[in-house]
Order: sequence, then structure tokens, then C-alpha cells
Amino acid sequence: MKRGVRIGIFTVLAIAGTAFLLFGIFSGQAESVLKKAIRICMECIGIG
Amino acid sequence: MAKAKRVKGEWKRMTVQAAAFLLQNPKLHHFFLGTIEQGETKAVCVPGLNCYSCPAAIGACPIGSLQNTMSKSYKKPAVPFYVLGFLILLGLTLGRWICGWLCPFGWVQDLIYKIPFFKKIRTFPFERYLRYLKYAVLAVLVIGLPLYSAFKGVLVPYFCKYLCPSGTLLGAIPLAAGSAQVRAQLGAYFWWKMGVLISLLLLSLLISRPFCRYLCPLGAIYGMFNRIALVHLDYAPNVCVDCGKCETVCPMGIDPKKQFNSAECIRCGRCSRACPTESLQVRFGFAKKDGTR
Ligand code: SF4
Ligand code: SF4
Repeated sequence: MKRGVRIGIFTVLAIAGTAFLLFGIFSGQAESVLKKAIRICMECIGIG
Repeated sequence: MAKAKRVKGEWKRMTVQAAAFLLQNPKLHHFFLGTIEQGETKAVCVPGLNCYSCPAAIGACPIGSLQNTMSKSYKKPAVPFYVLGFLILLGLTLGRWICGWLCPFGWVQDLIYKIPFFKKIRTFPFERYLRYLKYAVLAVLVIGLPLYSAFKGVLVPYFCKYLCPSGTLLGAIPLAAGSAQVRAQLGAYFWWKMGVLISLLLLSLLISRPFCRYLCPLGAIYGMFNRIALVHLDYAPNVCVDCGKCETVCPMGIDPKKQFNSAECIRCGRCSRACPTESLQVRFGFAKKDGTR
């Protein structure tokens, strides 16, 4: 892959990734992740 | 006696893998209490497949979180922007270097593969087709079925429930060992997942990283970024003497000379350390050295 193309794709995805992350935080998904992560996950440990 | 091929300087990677495990799971006292860490840092995803029900974990597993943020409320599916953002940014910077250096379950498989006495299998006929399975796991168990269950009303994280060996090893076993209450509730799902874990660990005696090669959805995601990630593998054909040493030491069973951009490469650097002419180098950034591909 040409260097310019690689940098172009990288930049677009970096902007998209940052936007996704910020939008996720503002829409409360970080809290949802926290809520799930601080309780024992029944599916993970084979109970649920 | 069959042994895994040795490569100089491998102890450095092993040290980083051990340190990464401790950094992601530093609250070791929970192992003795049968409880899990509940700090605010668990809102942040860790890079590797590290179960958030590991008692000592201080971060969230990206695959567990991806499934669980696919639903907003009852019968209301959602796009998991937050976790996708994490995965895109991690993939863009490190790609599958995360697998080679930071993932706890990758490390466990590496350690088991080092046990001698078993004939090591590098590859076998049709093996490359099995590698597509991880994309099916991602599409069906991580995205399709959880999303379907979210539409139906109650989200079920199918990958965690039926397959994830990290949840069994880092979550179920220590919690069951430390808590009589957990032990009393174990049933068919637990034994199914124990079967999956034990099969994978036994397979790791013969094949290097079977879970990473064939089943891991996180490896499938990071692999898609390998061609553009900042961490990359450079190959200089003009200095290569075609001795084939790189190929014999690759833990993912690929030919680094031909597949240096492959989604399978975990950027472990073993090929680079085995190469007598420094034709292969793991580098960081956009620049490529003159004469390299
Ligand atoms: S493929 Fe999956 S289990 Fe293997 S090292 Fe990568 S993230 Fe970890
Ligand atoms: S090609 Fe080299 S860096 Fe990639 S997985 Fe194989 S040995 Fe490791």
C-alpha cells in the first residue's frame, strides 16, 4: 500500500475512532461499561 | 524430544507480557476474598482479552463491553460507539502487536506451548481455512446473536456465555475457588466452558496459539488494522538470503517474508530476532526504511 494512501486511511479512521469514543462517552456508554464491569458477569463465569 | 524453537531475546517479550498482566490485574487481594474490583477505572477498556470478572482486573474487557453496550434498554438495540472508538484507536496504533505483547490469554498459550515432550505442529492441510472461523465468531457470537437478543428484549452476550476461555480462566476459576456462593451456583454452562478452556490449553501444547489463530474475535478485529497500524513489520528483500529461519520460528505459522502485512501476524518480533541479516524489523510509524516493503 502506498504511504500516502495509508496515511489517508489512518487519518480518516483516527478521526472516526475519536468521534465514536467521545460520542459514546456523551451518550452514557462509558457508564454502562462501568456498571457491567463492576458486577460479576454471570455469563462470563458460566452461571447465567 | 520435540521443543518449541528458541529465539534469542525472547525473555524480553515474556517480561512485557507478565508486566502487562499485572498492570491490567493489579488488585490481587480480591483473589483471596472471592470478590471483584469495583473501581471507576473499569469504565475504560483494556487492550487484550482480559475478563472484567477477573477478581483483580481494573479495566473492562473490550469484547464483553462491545456485546453489552449493544442495547440501550428493553427492546432498544444501540450502536456500541464507545467500545468501537477504543477498538479503532487501539487497532490503528498497535494492531495485533497487542496480541503478541499485551494479551493475557495469548501469554498463557505461549507459556503452555513452551512445555517440551510434545511434537509441535506448525501447520496442517486446510489449516488456513480454519483461520476464517474467528471472523464467523465475531460476526455471529459477538455481533449477530447479541444484537438479535437485544431486539427480542434481553441482551445475551453469546461469546462470553458459550466460548470465552478468558472468562473461565481469569473469572470463573478464581471466583469459584474463593467463594462458596459462586461454587454452589455452577452448572452446565460452567462445565461446557471448562471443556472449551481445557481443550484449548491441551491444544496449545501442540499448536502455538490455537485460540488466537482460529477463534479470537478480538484478534480478528485488530488483524483488520495490521496493514495501516503504526506498529508494522518491514521486510527488506534485497538483504534477505532466503534461509527460511523466520518461517520456522513464527508462532502464528505464517511465512513472514510473504505475509509481513498479514492479519495473522501478531508483531511478536520472533522472525526479526531469528533473521541473520536483519531483513525483518518490527517498527513504529509511517516511514519505511529504503529498500523495505
Ligand atoms: S488473538 Fe485474542 S486471545 Fe490471542 S492474543 Fe489476540 S486478543 Fe488475545
Ligand atoms: S511474522 Fe514475525 S512478527 Fe509476525 S507473528 Fe510471525 S514471527 Fe511474529
